[in-house]
Amino acid sequence: MRHYPRWPIHLILLVASFIMLVPFYWVLKTSVSGENIFTYPPNIIPRNPHLFYYVDVWYAIPFARYFLNSVIVSVLTIAANVIFNAMAGYALTRGFRGKNLVLMLFLSCMMVPFQATIIPAYLITGKLGLLDSYLGLALPQFSTIICIFVFKASFDAVPKSLIDAAKIDGLSEWRIIWKVMMPLAKSAMATNIILSFIWSWNNFLWPLIMTRSADMQTLPLGLSRFLSYQEDTTGALYAFCVMVLAPGILLFLLAQKEFIQGLTSGATKG
Amino acid sequence: MDDEDYQSPPWRKWLVNRFVMTPLIILLIAGAWDLYANTHNSGLVEGTVVDAAGNPVAGADVTLWTFNFTTFSEKGRTTSGPDGRFTFTDNPSHHIQVSATKPGVGSSQRRPIRLFFQSQDTRIQEPFVLSGGA
Repeated sequence: MRHYPRWPIHLILLVASFIMLVPFYWVLKTSVSGENIFTYPPNIIPRNPHLFYYVDVWYAIPFARYFLNSVIVSVLTIAANVIFNAMAGYALTRGFRGKNLVLMLFLSCMMVPFQATIIPAYLITGKLGLLDSYLGLALPQFSTIICIFVFKASFDAVPKSLIDAAKIDGLSEWRIIWKVMMPLAKSAMATNIILSFIWSWNNFLWPLIMTRSADMQTLPLGLSRFLSYQEDTTGALYAFCVMVLAPGILLFLLAQKEFIQGLTSGATKG
Repeated sequence: MDDEDYQSPPWRKWLVNRFVMTPLIILLIAGAWDLYANTHNSGLVEGTVVDAAGNPVAGADVTLWTFNFTTFSEKGRTTSGPDGRFTFTDNPSHHIQVSATKPGVGSSQRRPIRLFFQSQDTRIQEPFVLSGGA
């Protein structure tokens, strides 16, 4: 068997990594130097770096409160996504009348942007009395179709004989999901957690519409509020961006192996 | 499953993993920082005023300015002692400026001072040099 040299692919990957990491480095660099983004020639290494822009952000707005709000909403979203998407994903692995219709419906619903359904979503949330609440903030993201398909792909890979064996042992469908399927779908769960976290964490439009009090605002709204407070604040703005991005990046780095496995499960046979 | 899995207690599997340890370490660092900030936030700002020759200046007026949203506003005044030292005890801010002046001796430039948290106790190492008063 002929072995091809590996260095060309490594070189391409290095260049790709460099291109993708430069914006992150630039944000980080500007957050500690406050250098104007249009400075020419740009300084690759930050001059007189310091952390005081982070301190400015912390005190300019109620950052801790916004952070807590974002964390609560994200935790609610993640928990609901894992539970509901697993249930839906398992149901779609079973045979039932109209299954293809449901699949088609799901796929077609993916094409409808959230902006198109935001008015009914607002009215429903209002009727439920959940406006300006954590539950109301998380509710529209309780289940996402992409994540349902991630679970479905993962559950499809589980041999039918295993489910049959569980049924013979007397397990109900509910317990089959939690005792048999879920332990075998950890990567799908990690993918669900990361995707739902990122979508919830970065969500701007829905919190903007449904929050009324400043105490219920989340970090993206805080960023917008911060921009309206201060104009000449390049360093603080980038520091804020780093503080908003950091939890998402940390979560991704922690679960990246499972995340990649979850996205690729079901992509190949055998 | 290897022998180690059988021997280790169940709590070890749930606690000793990167998903628990990383947030725990971050919480510990945040807690330590919070403890430090809460024990060093009495609002103390200390410094020294000297003349152009480097001699301590007594009786110089020292002004503390705090950052007020978009501009700096005067927060307090004090006078330097016989050894040229001055102390503010009620700085509420993390972003301040300090200046000193004495008629006949001169004035210092208003010096910006950044702190890591509000009311952080700080000693300004570089003295305020009064000049231009002759």
